[in-house]
Amino acid sequence: MIDNQTKDAILKIRDQAAKKGIKALFTLHREKSHLMRIGNNSISLSTSVDLTRLDVSVIDGRKEGSYSAMGNMENEKNVESVLNMALDKAAFAAPKEYDPIEKIVEKETVEDFQFDPQLENIQPENKANVYRDIMSNTGDDYNYSGSWDSGSTELFIAGTTSPDTAWRKGTDQQFSCVLKHPEHKWELASYQTGWQNGTVETKKTITDFNRVIDIYKQPAHSVKAGEYTILFGSQAIAVIISMLLWSGFEGRKYEDKISWISDKKIGDKILSDKLTLSDDPANMNTFRFGFDLNGKARHLFPIVEEGRLANILYDIDTAGKYGKKPTAHNISYSIIMQPGEGPECPLEGVKNMGKVLFIPALHYVHIPNASKGIFTGSSRFSAVLLENGEMVSPIYSSRITDSFFNVLGNIELFSSKNVSVNQSSTYDRRMPEAFSVPSYMVCTNVKITDSADSF
Amino acid sequence: MLTEKLEKDIIRGIENNIEKGAQYCDVRLYSEDNSESLVFYDGNLEDNAASVERGLGIRVLYGGTWGFSATSRIDNVAETFAQAFNNAKSASLLVKIPLDMGRLPAVKGSYSSPVQRDPFTVPLKEKLDFIVNLDNILKADHVQRRIIWLYQQKMNNWFWNSEGSHIERNLTNCFANCMVMAQDSDGHMQRRSKSLHSPGTGTRGWEMVINPDLWVGRAEGIKSELSDLLKAPEIEYGKRSVIILPGQGFLQVHETIGHPLELDRILGYELSFAGGSFVNLDSFGKLRYGSEKLNVNAYGSIENSPGTFGFDDEGTPENDYMLIDKGVLVNCLTSRAMISEANKTAGKTIFDQSGGASRSTAFHKAPIDRMTNVNVLPGQDGNLDDIISGTDNGIILDNPTSWSIGSNREHFHFGCEIAWEVKSGKVTRTLKNPTYQGHTLEFYANLTAVGDASTWLVEQVPNCGKGEPNQVMEIGHGIPVMRFDHVITGERS
Repeated sequence: MIDNQTKDAILKIRDQAAKKGIKALFTLHREKSHLMRIGNNSISLSTSVDLTRLDVSVIDGRKEGSYSAMGNMENEKNVESVLNMALDKAAFAAPKEYDPIEKIVEKETVEDFQFDPQLENIQPENKANVYRDIMSNTGDDYNYSGSWDSGSTELFIAGTTSPDTAWRKGTDQQFSCVLKHPEHKWELASYQTGWQNGTVETKKTITDFNRVIDIYKQPAHSVKAGEYTILFGSQAIAVIISMLLWSGFEGRKYEDKISWISDKKIGDKILSDKLTLSDDPANMNTFRFGFDLNGKARHLFPIVEEGRLANILYDIDTAGKYGKKPTAHNISYSIIMQPGEGPECPLEGVKNMGKVLFIPALHYVHIPNASKGIFTGSSRFSAVLLENGEMVSPIYSSRITDSFFNVLGNIELFSSKNVSVNQSSTYDRRMPEAFSVPSYMVCTNVKITDSADSF
Repeated sequence: MLTEKLEKDIIRGIENNIEKGAQYCDVRLYSEDNSESLVFYDGNLEDNAASVERGLGIRVLYGGTWGFSATSRIDNVAETFAQAFNNAKSASLLVKIPLDMGRLPAVKGSYSSPVQRDPFTVPLKEKLDFIVNLDNILKADHVQRRIIWLYQQKMNNWFWNSEGSHIERNLTNCFANCMVMAQDSDGHMQRRSKSLHSPGTGTRGWEMVINPDLWVGRAEGIKSELSDLLKAPEIEYGKRSVIILPGQGFLQVHETIGHPLELDRILGYELSFAGGSFVNLDSFGKLRYGSEKLNVNAYGSIENSPGTFGFDDEGTPENDYMLIDKGVLVNCLTSRAMISEANKTAGKTIFDQSGGASRSTAFHKAPIDRMTNVNVLPGQDGNLDDIISGTDNGIILDNPTSWSIGSNREHFHFGCEIAWEVKSGKVTRTLKNPTYQGHTLEFYANLTAVGDASTWLVEQVPNCGKGEPNQVMEIGHGIPVMRFDHVITGERS
């Protein structure tokens, strides 16, 4: 549980504010992060950060304001100062044309079922040993790089309208290792994730590399523009799903006709009937959050059911503006893509499909046309040409530019096995996110629009 | 926040780490790092947020590798020094190519962004009055969505290193954008926008935000262009010339010149996330990056740009130097440890000094090689009208909607808000949903016109992402109008 001094300071200022009739939400974010970067077969950086932030948001009639500060929040004066800054912001704000929805902690919550103190305090030496073992087992002829981010995130939320508080502390890690040929510049990659110490295994990464390293010694194939059957790996699937949700299923984009499904209604068929997507905060393949940053309790939330639109994700502002209910998504999602019936081995899955491009990961995916749901991105890491399930040659960096309707409307096969893919972004503060997706997905008639003559 | 005792503790901590065997140590203390965001969406103030970050970050080079530690609790100085040292010491157990900072004389100095009116002293009411006025200008029968965004930063930070350097910086940035949107005849949403740019000179406080020449004066123009887009046909797939305005050119240069010329990317330190570069250490002085019309520099002396900061985050004064000279690659964006490694790896001196490009976005992130102001120099092909009149079959492009670049920056795909068709030297019509793609070296080899100084302005980038842990950095790009021939535009049907 959060330390008593910080909790007492926040609750005392919260209670004082409540007595004055102030509508405020206090959110404490504390992270202890360690990250090791590998470059040119060496550790290039080993970092530790210990940061505490307090966010306060205030609603004053139809006016809103928020303020965030870093520092020692055991001190009541510091907590009060953040509240006062937020009150000032709200006091001088322009009123909205609609009634903002109040942020209320819906129920008393204590969550630490994904917290491992050993991972929180993992020693840098342990990480160094894993990388050293991978390099020595795979060979010194290559150039290795990568990163291993691990740490804990603690959240504590209290509001003036409800006496309840919500607390969560969890650990997470994201491991990557890239093997690059120093002259030919081809790159293989291995990723691992989890919330417990010991789940990153040297053997898995060595196996990932050994699976394709020999084929990468063959001359590479340049893919001509055209339509192909593509075997997407789990990293590629997760990024496609992430962009699909961002561009299509957010309430603001949907209501404002910016989304590629803005003209669809709940129940409409939009994608392949093989596709079922949900947000399930109970799934252990993901980083679980039982509440969102507005204090709202999170539950299983269907998004696409057998290709039909099941729900739209409404943030609290859009919900207020359009008279909808907010859907507890102001936090990392726990996206689950239901597995299919394909064999666990992807090569076996495509053994009767002729020429297939195996694209395990996509680099720099973006949306050139949000209204049409067109995305673009290029192949990266370990991509190969397959013929009837046999690896034939590596492929050069190839660009897919196609629509979600087409790619996820033409799903041929899914793996029967789901894997966890880390989707965390730490551009701002630590906030772990992972999706559970099939280990592969085969789609037909996918448009390759360009190919480089390099990896 | 910076007390005499704290400064003594910091200097003593640096000395302790050197006594324990560190090759180098530096400390960045942020007494305040303020930001404010205001988003006005269809007349509603949807975001009214501010934040402050305070703390210190300590970097230690030991045994050829970096250890870093940061805390938001200033009472943890000794513990943070120890953590940074221990991180470096344990990391030094796996070092094949030791990093080296060399040894430079102490740098003492200060830098402050030129500001007439501090944006953080402008009352919120005054800012909102300005926004509401602009919002009223953006209203029109055909406009369905209006968005105005203001983002301001102000920071005070201090730097010390084990060479005796001591630097104070006060940096101020103002970013802004306005956008209008509406559904076209196919029911698809189109948009036009204008971001606050800098003329390169002058001051960069609130006075910049309210200067009509820098963005607000374009409000009527983007409304009118949106109206044209709603009736416009879709661009057809094909090869043609593209005339890129600075509102799109900055991102083209950012993604396909700036990023591939970051030395840490060239050396392979960003492979697991951002990617590498098609540039090699033997490319310098030899690689033809583009036509002779391509001249690119890294110019820290632009007085009004987010890429101007006086000293980088390892104390190197910001430099002015050529990156691409008459189409030939001559230099890149560098920091001290990266040039040392590059020279060792190459077995010769490629880089004789740091380019002052080691930057960090916050006290709690370690510095990495970043862009500063990466600029295409003005050319001698006249103004926009001159370039249009010399174009037989092309399109004019403005403002990005999407950007996707190959992992080594060897190829790219961009979507833009608007295109204007050019036939036989005349603008004929507006086209919607423009995209273009290409391969970097081939693209710049087909640079056939570069506008003069009248077409050049500094576009501000508030959100360049790179690094692990991820860092979002502020950058400037001075860009003229440019024309490229034989470019693939539109999408295959």
